[in-house]
Amino acid sequence: MSWVRAILLARGLSKSWGGICRATFPGAPISQVSPQPSRGLHRSAAAHNSELSLVPGPPEPQRRPIRALAPHEDLFRQAPGGERDKASFVRAVQSFGQRNVRKRGHVDFIYLALRKMREYGVERDVAVYNLLLDVFPKEVFRPRNVIQRIFVHYPRQQECGIAVLEQMENNGVMPNKETEFLLIQIFGRKSYPMLKYLRMKLWFPRFKNINPFPIPRDLPQDPVDLAQLGLRHMEPDLGAKVTIYQMPVSNDWTGASDPTEPHIVGIQSPDQQAALARHNPARPVFVEGPFSLWLRDKCVYYHILRADLLPPEEREGEEIPEEWNLYYPMQLDLEYARSGWDDYEFDIDEVEEGPVFAMCMAGAHDQATLAKWILGLQETNPALAQIPVVFRLAGSTGELLTTSPGLEEQPPPPPPKGQEEDDTVQRQQQGQS
Amino acid sequence: MAFVHKMLASTYILRKCPKPSIGLHPLAGIHFADYSSNRPQKPVAATGKAFSQRKTQGGLQEHHQQEVALDTISPEEKPEVSFDKAIRDEIKDHFWRLKDELVNHWIGPEGRPLHEVLLEQAKVVWQFSGKEDLDKWIVTSDKTIGGRSEVFLKMGKNNQSALLYGTLSSEGPYDGDSRQSGYCAMISRVPRGAFERRKSYDWSQFNTLYLRVRGDGRPWMVNIKEDSDFIQRKNQMYSYFMFTRGGPYWQEVKIPFSKFFFSNQGRVRDVQSQLLLDKISFIGFTLADKVDGPFFLEIDFIGVFTDPAHTEEFAYENSPEISPRLFN
Repeated sequence: MSWVRAILLARGLSKSWGGICRATFPGAPISQVSPQPSRGLHRSAAAHNSELSLVPGPPEPQRRPIRALAPHEDLFRQAPGGERDKASFVRAVQSFGQRNVRKRGHVDFIYLALRKMREYGVERDVAVYNLLLDVFPKEVFRPRNVIQRIFVHYPRQQECGIAVLEQMENNGVMPNKETEFLLIQIFGRKSYPMLKYLRMKLWFPRFKNINPFPIPRDLPQDPVDLAQLGLRHMEPDLGAKVTIYQMPVSNDWTGASDPTEPHIVGIQSPDQQAALARHNPARPVFVEGPFSLWLRDKCVYYHILRADLLPPEEREGEEIPEEWNLYYPMQLDLEYARSGWDDYEFDIDEVEEGPVFAMCMAGAHDQATLAKWILGLQETNPALAQIPVVFRLAGSTGELLTTSPGLEEQPPPPPPKGQEEDDTVQRQQQGQS
Repeated sequence: MAFVHKMLASTYILRKCPKPSIGLHPLAGIHFADYSSNRPQKPVAATGKAFSQRKTQGGLQEHHQQEVALDTISPEEKPEVSFDKAIRDEIKDHFWRLKDELVNHWIGPEGRPLHEVLLEQAKVVWQFSGKEDLDKWIVTSDKTIGGRSEVFLKMGKNNQSALLYGTLSSEGPYDGDSRQSGYCAMISRVPRGAFERRKSYDWSQFNTLYLRVRGDGRPWMVNIKEDSDFIQRKNQMYSYFMFTRGGPYWQEVKIPFSKFFFSNQGRVRDVQSQLLLDKISFIGFTLADKVDGPFFLEIDFIGVFTDPAHTEEFAYENSPEISPRLFN
């Protein structure tokens, strides 16, 4: 009997404890305090419930496909004819304050507003985040005595504050003085949101400029501009020239580009031009692709024009000129005291691949478009007219760079689309237009 | 009564813990104990602070056969079923390794003469020239927590590099526990000596990590874990970002060890300290930049060298506002 009573009491206690835990830690855990013990207890309590319950509980309700609206979601309902931009978002947030003076349900409203920010396009605006923090009632959540300071005072609100700052961090927004003032006003100086703000102020400047290949935040929408940006990003030679071989022909009012006339943008540096001029016409050059390049969150595809490595016997040896000046040597090759302690070379053979002559980004990845690119390249590289061009195009998003036909292996087991390779040899004759 | 509840709760926790599987598995590979799971933010413009937290479950104890394609045994290489012979081979192999270790100890550290080790300025630690080099790496993705990213590792076409490719998907598991998802990682196996003892790398001579990679423009994260003998430090690691350029040219990435910051359980810690190089357990690459889509990374080799121009010891200062106890 006492055993049953103990179990019932335990269940009651665990339910209440689980309720408290669930209330205090709904979603985001506070950064430095590890929620592991309370979570573990909560989980164990809930599981313990199901293990030891004497009566089986009711079956879980089916997930209804229609989602009920969140409490204040009607504030974000789009007015007919109105567009979702910063002004309407600000209006929606301010109308919450006008609804009730006491700001009931402000935590849920702030979570909802954080979710809606992306639709309105304001997730990178510091002023909007400050406005959202302004929704909190001020001075209420500041701890007033030492006991309140020991325990997490108003934990749900502190978590909500942390969630706002975390979304700021996810979008790369630096908080400013106004944010600091608001946080002090709302939570006090020793609160967790304030601590997170301090950490953001410490770490963001440290990692702001560590990308050696920075890409601007706002990528251009126009595909031609995007292609130019991508090509310049990939090519390390700053003297390379970007040429637009074909602009997309847009239909009259839709603005979409005609599928038969995609854009073709190419890049070639002077060194590559010289190398192509020197290339032996007996050896083919390959057009390979498409390869993917990610610019922040946009993926563009590019093709390259390259040739295979010359086999060792055909490589030109360096010519040592005759010494014509006997007073001092014209070429000096000294290795001053290079011994074991001064050797910074890695003991590995470099991966040798053939030279790349040009790169291009085109709207379509088929042979016709790339043939147009080759024709365009012929204008600046007349030697290309005599060189056979082989098109090696992979069907899917090709992640692999192929070197020579002899070493081709089977495609990897589950790529999303199958890989088909086209091997066509075309002889470019002179005067073909 | 509360005590009874606590006892019941604790016994339940005890029951739920999976027992670690021990024992020599003659045919399968090494049971990799654990690795820390961190999912960095997209390190663009101003990030690097909070990583969100995930649980590392007992799923890591299993061998992820379906993710590392090279682990499957092809039909013609079916091993014999003789258990005793396998055990005998294994024991012999371990004793050979022990003998090698004892002999190498007399020659010098790791079997190389001392003068060679002391004068060394550049060392190739991992290279990819064959299938056995790929065996030294494990690939994981968020499939362990129920996500949908896939990652595979294979040799590159020219047989001189390794290609890590796959698809990242930040669609999370709907289990009410993890909020964000979408990561892929490649981790090196812990070097083992005789009788599967853990060994570690000693890079105290060097001060820069050198990688020759060819990526697709995505930002990766390099993690280094120290070897800990007694204290359990299973989620602590040092990390830094590696930005790939994309394009058909090989890229050389040099990351000095002084730039690595310390993180525990996926969160950057307030108290930062230098990465000590004398006992390094393994290194790993993670991709978790919250952008869905296919990715690839081709690695030629990974080495360490001494950059004589780099004199910085540690790049991050501790702040008295955040960690006041250090400054009292």
